[in-house]
Amino acid sequence: MTGQEPPSNPHGDDGQNPPDTGQGMTAVSYLLGGMLVWGGIGWLVDHYVGTKGIFAGIGAVVGIAGGVYLIVRRLGA
Amino acid sequence: MIGQSTVLAAEFPPSVEDFYLPSILPWGAHDSYWFTKITLLVWVAVALIIIFFLVSYRKPQLVPTKKQWLAESLYGFVRNNIAVEMIGARGVAFAPYLTTLFCFILLNNLFSIVPLIQISPNSHIAFPAILAVISYVMFIYVGIRHHGGFFKYMKAALIPPAPWFILPLLIPIEFFSNFMVRPFSLAVRLFANMFAGHMLLLVFTLGGFAMVSANVWFTPFSIVSWIMTIALTFLEFLVIVLQAYVFTVLTASYVQGALADEH
Repeated sequence: MTGQEPPSNPHGDDGQNPPDTGQGMTAVSYLLGGMLVWGGIGWLVDHYVGTKGIFAGIGAVVGIAGGVYLIVRRLGA
Repeated sequence: MIGQSTVLAAEFPPSVEDFYLPSILPWGAHDSYWFTKITLLVWVAVALIIIFFLVSYRKPQLVPTKKQWLAESLYGFVRNNIAVEMIGARGVAFAPYLTTLFCFILLNNLFSIVPLIQISPNSHIAFPAILAVISYVMFIYVGIRHHGGFFKYMKAALIPPAPWFILPLLIPIEFFSNFMVRPFSLAVRLFANMFAGHMLLLVFTLGGFAMVSANVWFTPFSIVSWIMTIALTFLEFLVIVLQAYVFTVLTASYVQGALADEH
């Protein structure tokens, strides 16, 4: 197999696609990352202001929205 | 046999302690983990890989021998199906590292189902963590070199194509998912799979002994439990190969991300 030339056009074939593990993981990490980062920032705000979780909730939702937006921009067509 | 089974059964249910094997050097010392079976296995893996590839490539034949064929298949598989497939033509430059990574993880994982060895160094978080750190440092270095400077790379990696007013929302997410989740998830995925696999086999093996020593009438259940161990060993083989592949593919995909230009 080493003697064989590497495929010159790896993505241009109409055969089976490679398992895009990388993309799947990126998408998942954007979603989780969005929730954790902004949820975490919201939690810190809660802690500082003295509220009981309203900012963490808002942050998580905003973060998810950001994550979805990122997936669309980075991984979408 | 009875003595052995009571000793084993005494340890049921298995715990994290079962991953800390007795010290080899100094022999039998308590709470000394500098040289245990785990350490030995890592060095054996390193030696086996080096010797295997040296021997198979010492006198390369045009019509390959069996060993040469195996070595070439391994390298060819990683180069064509992982490096070039994920990174593109530039991937050939990363094929040696990816092949080494793949072989090392595969062999270390394989120790968890080889009879009488049956524990993988990768079931200790330290080894996957170091491998993840190597891949992490490498893809950042590659990114910096490709983009010509730390800040240029950060700009490419952190600033998505989006209107300026959402950027403050997106940049922390990008930073978190690109530079904090990646090494963590690489390490934890491999570690957790190997840890859980070893735990699973321990539960079914030791559970069989525990049932036998609890009541002789439980023997049939013990036998079912041991048959399950064998079945799960085959499942483990699947996990082993898959995790070695996933680690390598993800490393390649991170390198690809670092080499990507603006889209």
